[in-house]
Amino acid sequence: MDIISVPTWWTIWMLFHLIVSVGLLGALTHQAVAVMMPVRKMAGSAGFVTRFRAVPAPGYAFAVCVMWVITFILGAYIYTKYRTYIRIPIEQAGYWKTQGFFDFKEHVASIGLVLLPAYWFFWKNAQDPEYDTARKVLTVSLCIACWFLFIVGHVLNNTRGFV
Amino acid sequence: MSTTNTTTTAASARSSAATSSKVRTFVVTVAIVGTLVYCVCLFFNLPAFTYHPAVNRIELWWGPARSGEGPAMYWYGWTATTLIVSPIVGFLATLLPENVGKKIPLILVWLLPIIAIPYLIWDLRQWWFHP
Repeated sequence: MDIISVPTWWTIWMLFHLIVSVGLLGALTHQAVAVMMPVRKMAGSAGFVTRFRAVPAPGYAFAVCVMWVITFILGAYIYTKYRTYIRIPIEQAGYWKTQGFFDFKEHVASIGLVLLPAYWFFWKNAQDPEYDTARKVLTVSLCIACWFLFIVGHVLNNTRGFV
Repeated sequence: MSTTNTTTTAASARSSAATSSKVRTFVVTVAIVGTLVYCVCLFFNLPAFTYHPAVNRIELWWGPARSGEGPAMYWYGWTATTLIVSPIVGFLATLLPENVGKKIPLILVWLLPIIAIPYLIWDLRQWWFHP
């Protein structure tokens, strides 16, 4: 006897994928804002935006790497079901651009994965000015990539997320 | 006392790993080669394996979708090729003399992924222009 149904099983994994990706999105957004608009000196009472960007950005690097990898693995796992139960109906319905965006999402996620060691290294050496530009651009790029991945995943889920 | 020493030694080992020039060469090479290898895999369709999800079958290298077996998935294989090749090249790069490794331009780490975006969009043209 099955404890949970097959659709529930995949829905649970998809929700794990979503939850970790939200954490990743938050961490990367904090870090990207902190790196683009660093708080030099806190004078008086800080507003929301100042507090948002006044995070200890280097401390996020390892967590971002771990969350990217976990989100990637969870996404790769649920992708097996997506390919047969979601993508085929999406194609039959003629949502070609939606399908294109999903394929673009998978490419962005994989390229993001190979950038993580360099991203981690640049943040571990945050005091070294040699890595400043690379660290900033890479962090902002990964943040933009993460937002893209999240939004495309969300739209895909709205199109036909639950089997 | 010995716990403190062990902790200090482990911390200093991590710290030196994070600043070593060999680690720098490795991570920079992995980022550059990884981006290139992924795009090459896509262009020449070079997956390390093909996965057939409907029948839960894995086939080495590229394999076509077969009648009655559902679709074939290549993304896992492209990613696997990238994750196998780029660390190997990264390791080989660490064997280069230190001054050579330091000459690998850091700009390529972030410029190549940005340049790859138009290529990836072009590669997906079948979806954008599907009638």
